[in-house]
Amino acid sequence: MPETKLRVEHLTAYYGGKPAISDISLDFPDRKVTAIIGPSGCGKSTLVRCLNRLHETGPFTNVEGQVLLDNEDIYQLDPVRIRRRIGMVFQKPNPFVTMSIYENVSAAMRFNGRHSREETDRAVTRSLQQSALWEEVKDRVDSPATSLSGGQQQRLCIARALAANPEVLLMDEPCSALDPIATAKIEELVRQLKENYTVIIVTHNMQQAARVADYTAFLYIGKLVEFGPTEQLFERPQDKLTESYITGRFG
Amino acid sequence: MNNDPLADTGLPRGYDLLVRHLKERAVKLGEWALAMVHDGWRAYTAGDLEAAQAVLDRDTHLDRLDEEMEHATIAFFVLRQPAAIDLRTAAALLKITTHLDRIGRLGFDMARITLDGTDAALNDIREHLQQMDEIVEGMVQQSVDALGDDRVELARELFRRDDTVDRMHREANRMIVVALEEHPDLAPRLANDLLVARHFERIADNACKVAEKTIYALTGQRRSEYLPRHAYHPYVLEKGPDPSPRSRK
Repeated sequence: MPETKLRVEHLTAYYGGKPAISDISLDFPDRKVTAIIGPSGCGKSTLVRCLNRLHETGPFTNVEGQVLLDNEDIYQLDPVRIRRRIGMVFQKPNPFVTMSIYENVSAAMRFNGRHSREETDRAVTRSLQQSALWEEVKDRVDSPATSLSGGQQQRLCIARALAANPEVLLMDEPCSALDPIATAKIEELVRQLKENYTVIIVTHNMQQAARVADYTAFLYIGKLVEFGPTEQLFERPQDKLTESYITGRFG
Repeated sequence: MNNDPLADTGLPRGYDLLVRHLKERAVKLGEWALAMVHDGWRAYTAGDLEAAQAVLDRDTHLDRLDEEMEHATIAFFVLRQPAAIDLRTAAALLKITTHLDRIGRLGFDMARITLDGTDAALNDIREHLQQMDEIVEGMVQQSVDALGDDRVELARELFRRDDTVDRMHREANRMIVVALEEHPDLAPRLANDLLVARHFERIADNACKVAEKTIYALTGQRRSEYLPRHAYHPYVLEKGPDPSPRSRK
């Protein structure tokens, strides 16, 4: 097992006093892709939203337990700084609609302090290259972000997240609104991103988890049922519940 | 409107039904292969050319069953994208099909050498080969039963019987070498007997492979997890693992 980047210890997250996830302990390995799978309402999104302290921004929410980033409890640190270190991409592409492609990517830098034009240019180019969008937009970076297709907009959001130089990238069903071609591009991108980032991806699509993830966690009714190397989980799951879910024999 | 991509394949649509259907096809292939061994040996030992030809004529059907099985299993992979036990079963069935096809083909080979029309066998060798046939046919039947009835223990028992066949194969070789010295005029027949003994040993190995894949499908365990690395290799059983530096790598 590679080194742990993010450690979750006895994490319980509540909505209005009811736990959405209960007593989850899990190690996310450094520079690997970890997929979180499970049926709707099992707490996948809640779990990832706890990993960069987004959960607590909702009304009537509460979190117990620890999330350790490089052994530091993120709940003892400044949430804004944590969200710089742990970026997030959401289900639906959400570019800043009034901004250009360039402005979308540089926005993260602007929020993080003053940078020279050269620094910003370099960071925008690097982020667009890392998100595999550069070749498609290099001649029109001043065009509105809304001129991009859905798949391109999602890669733009990834570029925007990468521009803040995060260490961990959370992706909450990043392909669910995309067609198969755009999905394939994002999946290829995820495989490349793990060279530099720890990636955690929530997905409903088990084939997608099998294709992109090194490790997979299966959640059911707010509990972690099984976690292990993806190949093992899909070929030889240890838990009967996991087997029932991934073979489609639930219920 | 029917949107199920399996609708045009003639395969059942329910997931469990489909897995069961694939297994039943494999069992049918196994029974066909076993019948070819049974009849191939009968034709050989009786020198019955007509019976031998009948076995040879069944080869096309064996090919067809093999091809149908492969097609159905690949359709299952493509259209159902199985996981866990279903994935293991489908992957195992692809291999099992190959092993069952080989078993049938070894029966075919026994029928083919019958057409050489060699002299009658020596009694002691014929009896020895007959005993090998009985054990080996039982092993094939057992491997097919374990597959069809999802019986892990039945599959595991097979490995012990394979040791017996290996010993009998070596004994057959010894008997035939002695017979060649005493009856050089029977060399063509004895050479064929040597081949038949080898075929029985290969059939037993293939039955064990079917058992191995059945265990994998049902439990996820691979052979190396429950058998020593060199288990059921004849020379290792007698002499232990090869001590040469190359084998130790």
